[in-house]
Amino acid sequence: MDDTLDAWFIREIVVHEAALTRLLQRICLQRDDVHDLRQEVYVRVYEAAGKNLPTQPKAFLFSTARHLVTDRLRRSRVVAIDAVGDIDALNVLIDEISPERRLDGRQILKRLADAFDQLPARCREVVWMRKVQELPQKAVAEQLRITEKTVEKQVAKGVRLIADHFYGEGVGHRAAPQQHASLPNEAVHGQQPTD
Amino acid sequence: MVSSRQIEHIAAAWLARRDSGRWSAADEASLDEWLADATAHKVAFLRLEAAWREAGRLQALGAGLSGDRVPPPGRWAQPHEVELAAPSVSRRRHTRRRPLLRWLTGAAAVAVLAVAGTVSWQRGGIEPVVQYDTAVGQLSEVSLSDGSQATLSSDSRIRVAWTRNRRQIDLERGEAYFHVAKNPGKPFVVEAGKRQVVAVGTRFAVRRDGDALRVVVTEGVVRLEPAGADGKGSLSTLLPAGSVAQLDGNGLLVRSLPLAQAKRYLDWRDGYVSFHDTPLASAVMELNRYSVRKIVVVDPAIAHLPLGGHFRWSNTQAFVNLLTAAFPVRAVQQGNQVLLYAR
Repeated sequence: MDDTLDAWFIREIVVHEAALTRLLQRICLQRDDVHDLRQEVYVRVYEAAGKNLPTQPKAFLFSTARHLVTDRLRRSRVVAIDAVGDIDALNVLIDEISPERRLDGRQILKRLADAFDQLPARCREVVWMRKVQELPQKAVAEQLRITEKTVEKQVAKGVRLIADHFYGEGVGHRAAPQQHASLPNEAVHGQQPTD
Repeated sequence: MVSSRQIEHIAAAWLARRDSGRWSAADEASLDEWLADATAHKVAFLRLEAAWREAGRLQALGAGLSGDRVPPPGRWAQPHEVELAAPSVSRRRHTRRRPLLRWLTGAAAVAVLAVAGTVSWQRGGIEPVVQYDTAVGQLSEVSLSDGSQATLSSDSRIRVAWTRNRRQIDLERGEAYFHVAKNPGKPFVVEAGKRQVVAVGTRFAVRRDGDALRVVVTEGVVRLEPAGADGKGSLSTLLPAGSVAQLDGNGLLVRSLPLAQAKRYLDWRDGYVSFHDTPLASAVMELNRYSVRKIVVVDPAIAHLPLGGHFRWSNTQAFVNLLTAAFPVRAVQQGNQVLLYAR
């Protein structure tokens, strides 16, 4: 295992997940497709980085997404033309929507707290006991009077939901936005018409 | 084939298993094997593992709380409550703004300028005549002194002349969308070549290409008639909201469309043009209105390729890129032109 590559992948690539997901959501409306596409983008980036670490990870991530999307479009003409605005938006995403997501410590905590509060009650309880009180799964099972297997299942669920919310701002769990919803690029540097 | 969601579930199960405290060397070996099976497994696992590691920071939030009960949602983080420094993108997306303004502040915005009108006097006028121009690729929103609003499209010119009994606009070229302030005593008349469009209080757009004319009505009713007519002649046509009237050498064609569909003709105000089964040649002609970099369909074989969609008119390059990716079309750059050939 190459720990450097793995750490790089989380630090430079996965942090852009929210922007990546939003982009893919505009291109295909099926949530599962978005998930599949996202995985495919990650796979391509990880494999390419294994050979040669990109010097500009974010640009590399989005150009990989662009290529993947273009490939898809070539194969299915139906989706094709409707996505033009989005290919365009992709450049916007790189420049504007996805500001460097270097969250400071307080922001990370806030994000985590939100992710945690979104968990279903039982799952939330289990995660709290494991991660905050640091009780072993066995002790958690005893206190809650449930089986260890159930605790393990709740942990697995908690891991998935927290990752979605923490990296993706929970985007994966909302309905896909309207395809031609306005690009979220306003309020960047407004110029008022002075008529 | 295993879907990415299934892979994610399996990865989460591995992680929870490793977290369980019942983890053997054999388990470790099986996990390594699973991870080595596919990069998809690896990336899914890495992502979840990192999130789970981050979750350890929850301790920092739990530290200020007494007892060993799980705090209720939303309240437990209070002692350390912080605001995100940057507004979240999703929140921004829901911000309601006027379309023009939204478009204006966009990244690719071609500046929308409040055009300083050129002023002159006209006989019989009660205010000076003001002329407004836009360059190719520029939009402009103009507030008129009667409270009406005009939005000028790319490469357009209007002249505004107020007289005692009417509000007169000459559309000299291009297209403009009008939101007319109600004033029954003074009709709002847009003259375009040999025709005029008369409104009292309503919203509509007039486009002029030489003698060809297009009128799109999105609210109220307007009257289309020969220039200088008084509304009583038989050549007057009433156009209610949803009408798209096209007038050229062949005559007048009026279509009554659902309002939403009619409004698509006005997407240019938001920085877009919409196509629906539009032949490539027509789509290109439309996009060219907004760009100094013209697209030319050289090969008649591809001129009728139907296409649909929603395009940013400020980015012809994206349009060309997608065209060449999705259709049997080849693009050649030549000076300030993009030539399209069949591939």
